[in-house]
Amino acid sequence: MSATDVHSAESGPNPQEALVKFTMLLGGVVFLLMMVFGLIMRVAQGDLISLDPEIFYLLLTAHGAGMVGSAALSGAAILWFFSARHLNLRSSIYIAFLGLFLAGVVLILGSIFIGGYGGAWTFLFPLPAMSGGLWEAWAGVMFCVGYLLIGVGFLLYYLELGLKIASRYNGLLGGLGWRYLFANNSTDVPPPTIVAASSVLVFNTIGIVFGAAVLAASIVNLLLPSFEVDPLLAKNAIYFFGHVFINATIYMAITAVYEILPDYTGRPWKSTKLFIGAWAAVVVFVQAVYFHHLLQDVNMPAWTMAVGQIVSYASGVPLIGVTVFSLAVYIKGSGLKWDLPISLLTLGVVGWGLGSIPAMVDGMVSVNKLMHNTQWVPGHFHTYLLLGEVAMAFGFAAWLVRDKAVTILSNLDRLVFRAYVFGGAGFVLIFLWSGASSIPRRWAVHYEQWQLQSQLASGFALIVVLATLVLVVRYVAGLARRSQ
Amino acid sequence: MQLSILLITLGLMGVAGWLILRAVWATEGPSAPKTINRTRSCFLWGMIAVGVVISVGSLREWPHTSAADDALIVNITSGQWWWETDTTEIPLGQQVEFRVTTEDVNHGLGIYDPDMNLVVQVQAMPTYTNKVVHTFDKAGQYQILCMELCGIAHHDMTYDFEVLEQN
Ligand code: HEM
Ligand SMILES: [Cu+2]
Repeated sequence: MSATDVHSAESGPNPQEALVKFTMLLGGVVFLLMMVFGLIMRVAQGDLISLDPEIFYLLLTAHGAGMVGSAALSGAAILWFFSARHLNLRSSIYIAFLGLFLAGVVLILGSIFIGGYGGAWTFLFPLPAMSGGLWEAWAGVMFCVGYLLIGVGFLLYYLELGLKIASRYNGLLGGLGWRYLFANNSTDVPPPTIVAASSVLVFNTIGIVFGAAVLAASIVNLLLPSFEVDPLLAKNAIYFFGHVFINATIYMAITAVYEILPDYTGRPWKSTKLFIGAWAAVVVFVQAVYFHHLLQDVNMPAWTMAVGQIVSYASGVPLIGVTVFSLAVYIKGSGLKWDLPISLLTLGVVGWGLGSIPAMVDGMVSVNKLMHNTQWVPGHFHTYLLLGEVAMAFGFAAWLVRDKAVTILSNLDRLVFRAYVFGGAGFVLIFLWSGASSIPRRWAVHYEQWQLQSQLASGFALIVVLATLVLVVRYVAGLARRSQ
Repeated sequence: MQLSILLITLGLMGVAGWLILRAVWATEGPSAPKTINRTRSCFLWGMIAVGVVISVGSLREWPHTSAADDALIVNITSGQWWWETDTTEIPLGQQVEFRVTTEDVNHGLGIYDPDMNLVVQVQAMPTYTNKVVHTFDKAGQYQILCMELCGIAHHDMTYDFEVLEQN
C-alpha cells in the first residue's frame, strides 16, 4: 500500500464512519418499513385482508421507489465508506448528497400519500398525465421532481468520486484499471473498490442523465399537455435508467465483500487482469442489456431484441464466472469463522448470482413472450435484491457495529440468519412459481385460483420481516453499545 | 411450456447453488488446488460456448413469427379500462395476426387459454400498432388480461373471446 492510501484499514478510524453509520440506520429502517408494505400487498393478493385497489397501487409505488431508493442509499454509503480508505473524500459532498436524497424522498412520499400518485416506480409515459382521475398533474410533477433531486444528489456524489479517483489514479482510465488491462502498465494498479467505483460512476452517470431527460420531458408534458413525447422513446429512456440504476446498487454494495472478506480469510481480494476485464465488460453489458425490457415492443428493431437476449446471458458470465467463483475460491479452505456479518455478505453474493439465472432465462425472446410482466419478474429481482443487495447491506451494517471480542455466530444470530434465508428463499421461489402459473405482476386483486400462492408467500414474507426487525434492532443496539 | 421453463430454471439454480455452497462451507478443508485458474478458464469458456449454442439455437428461427398471406387480421383497440376487437370468434387452427393499439396510456395484451395459461402477449402502446401472430390449437373460451399497469382498474381490464372449431 502506498503512502497516499490515506486511510487504510489499519491507519485509524474512517473519517466517513459516522455519516455512513447514520445512513445505514436510515436505510435499514426504510427497508423494514417497505417490507411491511410488501407484506401487506402479498396478503391482499391472497385475499387475507381486503385492501382498496387504490391503496394497493399506492403501496406498490411506495414499495418500489422506497426499496430501490434504500438499496441505492445503502449501496452508496458502502461505496463511499470503502472508497474513503483509498481517497480523501469530502464529507460536505456526502452531506449534500444525503440532503438532496432526503428532500427527494419527502417529495416522493408527498406525491404518493398526499397527491395519490400510484403510477409505479418505473412509469410508462403518458400514465403520469392520465391517471383516469386518480391523481392530479401536480402529484406526477412532484414525483418526477423528487426523482430529479435524488439524481442530482447522485451526480454530485459521483463527481466527487470521479475527481478524486482521477487525481489519485492518473485519470479515470487509471481508476478503471484499463491502463493495466490494455497497456500492461502495472504501476499503481487500483484496488478492487476503486475499479468498482470508477465503473459504477461511469455507467450510472450515463443512466441518470437519460433518466433526467425523460423526467424533464414528463414534467413539461404534465404542465403543457400539448407537448408530446414519443412513448416508445420514453420507455427506452426510463428502462435504460431504471435498469442501470437498480443494478448500480448491487455493484456499489459488492465493495463491502471486496474489503471485508479479506479480514476473515487473510486473503486479499486482488485486482487481477481477469477482475478488471470483468468490470470493463460490466460497464458495457449493464447498459446494453436494458433492451430485454422491451421484448414485447415489436416495433423495436429486431437487432435490439437479439442484443437484449444475448447480453442478458453475457452479463451472467462475469458475475458467476468471476465474482461468485472468486468468492468460493477465496473462502474454500481459508479457515474463515462464520459470524453474522460475513454470513450475510456471502449470502448477498450467492443470492445475486442465483437471482441472475431466472433473469437470463426471461431475457430470451421466446420465454419473455410467456413470462414478461408476470410475477416471474419480481421473482428474479427479489432474489438478487432481498437475498443480494439487502443481505450485503445488513451484513455491512452488522460489521460496522461488530463486537471485536465475539467472533462466532451467537445462537440468536444463527436463528435470524437462517430465518432470513429460509423466509427469503420461500418468498422468491413462490414468485417464480406464480410467474410460471401465468399470474400477472402489479395486480391489486388476484383470482381465486391464484390466492393460495399469495397466502403461502405471505407466510414466508412474515418470517423475513421478523428477521429483518431483529437485524435492525441489533444494529441500533450495536450503535448504542459502541457510542457508550 | 411454463412448467418446463420453471423446472429448468430451478434445476440450474439448484446445481449452481449446490456447487457454490460446497466450496463455501469447506472453510476447514484444503484450499482450492493450484489448477483452479485453469478450471476457471474452462468454466468461463464453457459458459461462453453454451451461450453461443443457446443464442444461435433460439434466435435462428426468429421468435416473433410474421404472418402468412392468409392470416386472419384482428384489430384490437384498448383504453382505460376496456378492450375492443373486430371479432369475438376466432377459428381453431387459423393463423391470426393481432394488431394492437391503445387510445390513452400503455396497456399489455395478454391472451389466456381456457385453463388460464398465458399463451401469447404483446405491448399496447399509444401512437403505435403492435402486431403479434398466433395460431390457436385449443378451442374454448379465452380471456384477454391487461399486462401493463394502467391505473386503478388495471386488474379489471379483461375481455372474453371464443376459439371455435371449424366445420
Ligand atoms: C419481506 C420482503 C418483501 C416483500 C413481502 C415484498 C413484496 C412485494 C410485492 C407483493 C410486490 C408486488 C408484486 C406484484 O407485482 O404483484 C413487490 C414488488 C417490488 N418489490 Fe418487493 N417485497 C419485499 C422485499 C423487497 C426488497 C428487499 C426490494 C428491493 C430492495 C423490493 C423491491 C421491489 C420492487 C422494485 C418491486 C416492483 C414494484 C413495481 O412493480 O412497481 N422488494 N414486492
Ligand atoms: Cu393495465
